[in-house]
Amino acid sequence: MNPVVGIVALVAVSVATAVIGFYGLRISRTTGDFYVASRTVRPWWNASAIGGEYLSAASFLGVAGLVLLSGTDALWFPIGYTAGYLMLLLFVAAPLRRSGAYTIPDFTEVRLDSRAVRRVTSLVVVVVGWLYIVPQLHGAALTIRITTGLPSWVGSVAVVIVVCLTVVAGGMRSITFVQAFQYWLKLTALAVPIVFIALVLAGNGTPSVAEANANPTGLAPTGPYQNISLLVALLFGTLGLPHVLVRFYTNPDGHSARRTTLIVLGLLSVFYLFPTAYGLVGRMFAPGLAQGGRSDALVLLLPGRLIGGPAGDMLSALVVAGAFAAFLSTTSGLVVSLAGVISQDVLGGSVRGFRLAALVSATVPLGFSFMTDSLALAGSVGLVFAFTASTICPALLLGIWWRGLTDAGAIAGMVTGGVLCGGALVAGALSGPALSGAAMPQWLAQPAAWTVPSAFAVMVLVSRATKARVPRNLTKVMTRLHTPERPLATERQGTVER
Amino acid sequence: MTRVKVTAPRSAAKPVMDSRVAAEESDVGQVFVRSLIRSQLRLALVVAAGFLLILLAFPLMLGLVPGLAEAKIAGIPFGWLLLGAGIYPVIGLSAWLYIRTAARNEARYRDLAEDK
Repeated sequence: MNPVVGIVALVAVSVATAVIGFYGLRISRTTGDFYVASRTVRPWWNASAIGGEYLSAASFLGVAGLVLLSGTDALWFPIGYTAGYLMLLLFVAAPLRRSGAYTIPDFTEVRLDSRAVRRVTSLVVVVVGWLYIVPQLHGAALTIRITTGLPSWVGSVAVVIVVCLTVVAGGMRSITFVQAFQYWLKLTALAVPIVFIALVLAGNGTPSVAEANANPTGLAPTGPYQNISLLVALLFGTLGLPHVLVRFYTNPDGHSARRTTLIVLGLLSVFYLFPTAYGLVGRMFAPGLAQGGRSDALVLLLPGRLIGGPAGDMLSALVVAGAFAAFLSTTSGLVVSLAGVISQDVLGGSVRGFRLAALVSATVPLGFSFMTDSLALAGSVGLVFAFTASTICPALLLGIWWRGLTDAGAIAGMVTGGVLCGGALVAGALSGPALSGAAMPQWLAQPAAWTVPSAFAVMVLVSRATKARVPRNLTKVMTRLHTPERPLATERQGTVER
Repeated sequence: MTRVKVTAPRSAAKPVMDSRVAAEESDVGQVFVRSLIRSQLRLALVVAAGFLLILLAFPLMLGLVPGLAEAKIAGIPFGWLLLGAGIYPVIGLSAWLYIRTAARNEARYRDLAEDK
């Protein structure tokens, strides 16, 4: 591929991000603006922003790569990523918004009336965020290496610099605009090239589509255990993602939090049709890309491979731009939510503390990303989901729906889930080469199916054993979580939306 | 450009007192609140279970009906269409049904709580 294409695309996305970020700066003045955009973001903007933030390197590059490698088995990834939002809508969206808290640690502190729970939750949130940023930086490194031939580290460093600039300058308000823009950029960047590819292929007289089910790698199909465990991780992991949850506080009330989630589901459903299409086309027309660990670059290479010439270069530039939008938006969303947590817990919650915390939250995972190798992107993000599902998810679900939860139970459950799932991840990473899911025992490769129930069980049992610690203001908090806001506010919001 | 110094938002994490205080304080109010929570939880569980059953039925159907996964619609194998596109409308429909019913539960609660 022409190296200029990649560089131009990278610079264009970075400049656009920075410009929108700085534009947002002018209307961002209070701490509320910095943390949660003062809760004045409209559902469509907010939903686009959530979509923009959620569709990470794993969705943009990883899903198509996995479909290329393992066919229909890989389709469980986009299904799980989307259905996770359904679970979030059913069990978490409105009560979480009504809790009035800014971050997940805020929520657990309000619900359980305990500083200790807050500290444990903060720690888990920071671990999850860092684990999640690392694959984004790996994606950026891969994209830079494949498209420009520059050394890999340039990609990760560029992402961290742009993210720090936008977050430090504008906080959450400008991030909302940036993220919303990036959702639509990502969708366009996948949709336009695949339409051209389809036209070109149709014009060439399509070869038989029968090869869709042919296997280009000879990887064994995944068994039902792995698919189920993966689905458990994705369905329950989405509930606890810190950068997703912080978005719910930007809705004016519980009902609009639900409406926003419904729009997000639509946006995600439309988006995931395209990585699937890339994977399918790749399987049929470019199965060679499955070899040599390049499968994650399928989306980047396919337009140039199948169209070529200046048209191919322009489409490639569009895809590279979309990929960088994915790394930037997910990373900045995570950095904002991590900075919110770190600055409130350690630095006293000032705007200056928030900026300092943002720098820390972005540079630490950069170090990690230099020390680790890139796994298959969709797979490594899937493991982060398993970790969230085993820690934050049980605390949220039981906190919202079960009066019996105590601070001791929540801490014990989160620690159990974290240790079991973290242990499985570390053991998995140490025991074999990155991609050899086949060589690893299945229960270690996909731990969610047993770590999530264990975390729930420990949380319930310890809470039962420490009944005396049920917080005294429980009735008040539960009422607040579940009863609708003042009708007046809801109606006013309703007319504004229509 | 003047900048205003702002303070920590920690206090915002604490519940703000509003009209819901009334519901919290009376015994009758608590009966309504508990019944609202139960009906919302029941609704969420029913929708989740229904969705998961359909999700499970898709691969079972592909596995059990011979030749179905390979059957072509517009040149694309049915298995790919079903898992790659067919599940998303089911997700959207479940979400829409849930939102409608959840809002209805809340409207019923509001009627009860304001009548008393």
